[in-house]
Amino acid sequence: MSEAIAQAQPGSAHGGTVFDIGYQPYTGLREGRSRGRRAIFKDGVRTALGFGRGGRAKILPWFCIVALSALGLVFAIVAAAANAMAGPGAAEKAGIPSHSDFNGVASILVFVFAAVVAPDLLSPDKRNGVINLYRVRPITGTDYIVSRWAAFLSVMLIAIWLPQIVLFLGLSGSDPVPWDYLTKHWLDIPRSILAGAAMAVYATNLAMLAASYTTRRAYASVFLVGLFVISAPFTIGISQQIEGAAGIWMSMFTLTNIPVHVNDIIFGKVSEIADRAPALKLGSAVLVAWYFAWTIIPGLILWSRYRKLAS
Amino acid sequence: MRRGVRTGVREAKGGIMTTGQPLLEIEHLTKQYGKVVALNDVSFRITDGITGILGENGAGKSTAIKILLGLVRPTSGSARVLGQDASHSVVVRGRVGYMPEHDCLPTAVSAAEFLTHMAEVSGLPPAMARTRAADTLRHVGLFEERYRAIGGYSTGMKQRVKLGQALVHDPAFVMLDEPTAGLDPAGREDMLTLIRKTHREFGISVLFSSHLMADIERTCDRIIVLQAGRLVQSGEVEQFTKETETVFIEVDSNREALMAALEKRGVVVTIERSGFTIQGRDETVYDHVRDALVEAHAPLRRMAPRRRALTELFERDGERALDGEAA
Repeated sequence: MSEAIAQAQPGSAHGGTVFDIGYQPYTGLREGRSRGRRAIFKDGVRTALGFGRGGRAKILPWFCIVALSALGLVFAIVAAAANAMAGPGAAEKAGIPSHSDFNGVASILVFVFAAVVAPDLLSPDKRNGVINLYRVRPITGTDYIVSRWAAFLSVMLIAIWLPQIVLFLGLSGSDPVPWDYLTKHWLDIPRSILAGAAMAVYATNLAMLAASYTTRRAYASVFLVGLFVISAPFTIGISQQIEGAAGIWMSMFTLTNIPVHVNDIIFGKVSEIADRAPALKLGSAVLVAWYFAWTIIPGLILWSRYRKLAS
Repeated sequence: MRRGVRTGVREAKGGIMTTGQPLLEIEHLTKQYGKVVALNDVSFRITDGITGILGENGAGKSTAIKILLGLVRPTSGSARVLGQDASHSVVVRGRVGYMPEHDCLPTAVSAAEFLTHMAEVSGLPPAMARTRAADTLRHVGLFEERYRAIGGYSTGMKQRVKLGQALVHDPAFVMLDEPTAGLDPAGREDMLTLIRKTHREFGISVLFSSHLMADIERTCDRIIVLQAGRLVQSGEVEQFTKETETVFIEVDSNREALMAALEKRGVVVTIERSGFTIQGRDETVYDHVRDALVEAHAPLRRMAPRRRALTELFERDGERALDGEAA
């Protein structure tokens, strides 16, 4: 039964009646866990990019994304200028940084991005108690953490691939015959995708794991910045002072270099940022295995921490 | 106005179909945390309506709710929700709502966005989730404020958002853990009204946990009383209140003679500061009072029917249960 809560004045222009139809039970489709997973993924992406939040929540993620893209643009402009001044292919001959160098140069910014954004996807849920509401929804702990992980990985991939796209468009656009550039350098496309994904997964796993241990976003961010940024000069300095196996292994703990070594293996050339690392002496297989260890183990620990969130 | 009350769940998918069956069912449930027994061989069934689960802090209310939500596994016994084993069914949570006692709200997002998200997590398609979120916020009285960040809400508004998120996916059953905690008298009254409305107008059955007798008494159809992990009482609230009906009598003089005359007639008398109370309110009791007053020549100053608070009944039953245990 409906209740009239307001009625237009007789003779008014529309003469309509507004009804409060009261509470209506939901009889539509219920999509279960799959919808729940997608909802958490979507919310994770929105949270990471600051959508639906205040202006301040957008500053850091968008600053990092714009800065990374700007870096790609600078690479492209420098290469275009070199080609314009010294002729086609001059930038490549002069060793001006390109796709293979981008991830190495941008790695610090990528890790800062992970450090400031990843905790936003996990820490506030614990701090505000929202996690208790997810526990009683028709999803499992694995659904929750995998969806959050996938959301942040997606944002990381956007942040890493976007500058590579900018760079590729810039380099091909600056070539007198863009199609020639494309045919000569098409392999840079899959390599950039793969190397970018390797860096994104690595940063995502470590950042999400650190975030899972605290309810305070700031603590996780400070820890991660310390881990990624401050530890690097320390381990690089020591590894170059110590000779032999100890120096090499110390070099392995330069966390920012671990995905850069993989990037170099994918592109088949050593980028400038890691060319003096003693760890290079260990060979590609060890470096790749080391990368997987630092990626898979944190991922498994992260999963195990949330697996039993709700059975 | 009472709308069509649902006595079960209509959806058959996933084996959830309980029309005519209890919505919640606990049998010989025991939960131990190390040496601490949180629940001790508790059994009860809950059907349609508003059921209050009453007990002091540590009585086992929250443990019972956590077991029913599948968050904690029982040491022994079984808990079934909408016909499904609470420990093993993720699907059934799509038809159950839960309002926790403690903070559970994000601060940076609006109530509309939060409820939409929670509806989607419960399995509703995005377009329906948005509609349900707006409708639910209107029903809990937050429609005008729905686009404000939750962080700026008052305690009462936050409690409404908590209730809203528990209702947004149209559950068959909603569990409310201390929903009036931290509210001022006006806010508390509003929340109790909303809880009554949740069942009587929305047709959603409610399990309402509280340590406040008055809230339970005014809101619930049935009551379950837990004390130290044991089930002390369960049944209709009306039945309990009938049991507690008494008559208060005050006389100017000859009080002892009146008491003796009443006791001679088999009436149970309890002495109070200014008078005494007698059990029961049927016609026979009034006849006995009249005859005893005449016999004792006691001038009657005041006689009034009174209903003893449920607290007294449960205190008495609790003491009995504990005495029995000690024996």
